[in-house]
Amino acid sequence: MNPTIKLTGVVKRFGKFTAVDGLDLEVPAGVTFGLLGPNGAGKTTTIRMIMNITKADEGEIRVLGEPMSEALQERIGYLPEERGLYRKMKVIDQILFFASIKGVDRKTAMERLERWIDSMDLRPWLQKKTEELSKGMQQKVQFLGTIVHDPPVLILDEPFSGLDPLNVVLLKDFLTEFKRQGKTVVFSTHVMEQAERLCDRIALIYRGKKLLDGTVKEIKHAYRDRVPLPPPVEPEPELEKIFIKAVEESGLSAPTAEALR
Amino acid sequence: MSAVNPKLLAVIRREYLQQVRSKAFWISTILIPTLGLGFIFLQVALSKSLIAKGKIGVVDLTGRLYQPLLAEYAARGDDDEDAAKKAEEARDEEGRRNRSLSTKIDFFKVDATAATLPDVRRKLNDDVQKERIKAYIVIPADALQKGDAEWRAQSVKSDLVMRETIASLLSRAATKERLKDQGVSPDVYDKARLKVTLDPREAKEVETPEASKNAGFNLAISGIFFFLIYISIFVYGAFIMRGVLEEKNSRIVEVIVSSVRPTHLMLGKIVGIGLVGLTQYAVWALLTLGLTLPAVVGALGLGATLPPIPTGTLVAFVVFFLLGYFLYAGLYAALAAPFNTEQEAQQFVMIPGMMLVLASTTWFFAFNSPNGMLAQVLSFIPFTSPLLMFMRISVQPPPAWQIGVSVAILLVSIWAVAWLAGRVYRVGILMYGKKPTLPEIFRWVRQAD
Ligand SMILES: Nc1ncnc2c1ncn2[C@@H]1O[C@H](COP(=O)(O)OP(=O)(O)OP(=O)(O)O)[C@@H](O)[C@H]1O
Ligand SMILES: [Mg+2]
Repeated sequence: MNPTIKLTGVVKRFGKFTAVDGLDLEVPAGVTFGLLGPNGAGKTTTIRMIMNITKADEGEIRVLGEPMSEALQERIGYLPEERGLYRKMKVIDQILFFASIKGVDRKTAMERLERWIDSMDLRPWLQKKTEELSKGMQQKVQFLGTIVHDPPVLILDEPFSGLDPLNVVLLKDFLTEFKRQGKTVVFSTHVMEQAERLCDRIALIYRGKKLLDGTVKEIKHAYRDRVPLPPPVEPEPELEKIFIKAVEESGLSAPTAEALR
Repeated sequence: MSAVNPKLLAVIRREYLQQVRSKAFWISTILIPTLGLGFIFLQVALSKSLIAKGKIGVVDLTGRLYQPLLAEYAARGDDDEDAAKKAEEARDEEGRRNRSLSTKIDFFKVDATAATLPDVRRKLNDDVQKERIKAYIVIPADALQKGDAEWRAQSVKSDLVMRETIASLLSRAATKERLKDQGVSPDVYDKARLKVTLDPREAKEVETPEASKNAGFNLAISGIFFFLIYISIFVYGAFIMRGVLEEKNSRIVEVIVSSVRPTHLMLGKIVGIGLVGLTQYAVWALLTLGLTLPAVVGALGLGATLPPIPTGTLVAFVVFFLLGYFLYAGLYAALAAPFNTEQEAQQFVMIPGMMLVLASTTWFFAFNSPNGMLAQVLSFIPFTSPLLMFMRISVQPPPAWQIGVSVAILLVSIWAVAWLAGRVYRVGILMYGKKPTLPEIFRWVRQAD
């Protein structure tokens, strides 16, 4: 089967600086793919080139076997690294606007997002202006915009940054569900624990070049003798779990629509 | 016609609703006509203040003109005894001016002879400088032969209207005295005097009915519409600039251009704001209609209803507003896109601003001689033509081919500007950080698709 995303010899230069240097990448269909690498490695640049927001100087990029086009864009859900919303717009209008530029009508959009809105506790905020939302909540709105057209391919640039542990868990659940639905997901992250738990395959890039590429299992196997194993640890509760427990036990719940009025 | 791109429609819709729901829209809807009316009131108040009241000293060395001058000045007030004459006089610029003047000038006689004149002058000069009196006039002994007299005031430039009025009063008084010298009764002068007015009419077999009837009103309408085109391109240009920068700074562009073509995003913004402009005009039109409804006019105790606005002027207004708006809008979008803040963009956005101001100052050419060389040339140059061609059409319609050529040039220019703007915009909106230089911007234009 054709890979969902395929990059061959992709190069991107900014002036004299080469940000992406002859990158080859293959993301098979239905796979959750982690794009890892230090700051400035070229992850965002690569993702932007896949989305055709910046143009590659050399090389070839294919998504679902085709070069990027407007029709193809409608089959991809893209979450950019720099999130952005219209500050003065109501949350619901914002979501419907995202739907309309993806060619989804209001009714379909609302039906499709019903469940997500509730699981993200966004319903009381729908009539609020975006600027009244906290950063994390804005990010959830943005995420809804990414999935409103139910795309088979998702490309997420650091989707976890800025989210609290509760929402990190929520997003992990979403990604797991997408994988179950057979969607292809590519995301970049700096948190290895997430990559390890969620990804089938990862690629590590550095200075625009690929250092590692393969299934998590293969890579672990290859490095087994060269990387020291972690010392056995005394089992103790993880801080993340404590965070979630404490919030639960506070007996407080997310604000209701009445409380916000 | 193929259906409009649905994504473009979505962008237009968002832009339109967002703007129309904003406070800025309603504030400008109220503010622009308020400013316009305020400007008119200021003009009226200013023209009233030109007729300043004041004491005027009269040094009459002929010894024959002071009393006749007072008589002429008093006679101005008696002119409008009967109502019919009053109505007639109201349309007569000079009559109106004199009437309001007659209640305000306070002449007083200053005795002097050729010998005492220097001392009298010294005293009067002091009075003028200390503002105890407004001015004084010196009528020399030979004034009835030569017709020369002096006007002495703080400044030779001020009080033009008053000076001219007194001069005409003096002329009349002096003429009557000279008639007496010829043995003719001065009453003959008042009986024989006839004021001829020139009624402006078109040199055509069949006159455009409105043209001659409501000339003054139509001229005012032309001026108001000219001002509207000018001010709205300015205001909406600023809306576009701010919108582009907002999308860029909030980083929402990246999400949008991952499903909408940048050119469509730009076009959507321009069209959306253009529709906002038309909506604003519609609000004003409804308000005006409401205010001129016979019932309302009666209730407010205003005079007769205004004559209808000529259709040609209305059509030209809408057409040339849209053409001008689209031409300038592309420039505003392109010049905002490469920058991060309004301050950075300002120096480049100044360019269309200056062009607009320049274009607006040329109204005089179209107004004064609508078919003159300069007016013709300016109504073909794309950046002045929306304003100039509109003015020409509303003052005196030029030949159809000229209108056609002007519109054609505008359409081609709009296309060219949109093409250039699209290229700058496409690259510019995704450029953050360093302010780009002009050569860099030119490079973007040359970049192939
Ligand atoms: N528009 C641009 N102009 C100039 N240089 C750029 C531009 N965009 C990116 N770069 C450079 O390209 C390199 C790769 O940037 P990129 O944003 O792809 O890194 P990244 O892997 O996403 O890093 P991070 O983990 O910090 O997000 C960096 O050195 C960056 O400075
Ligand atoms: Mg990045």
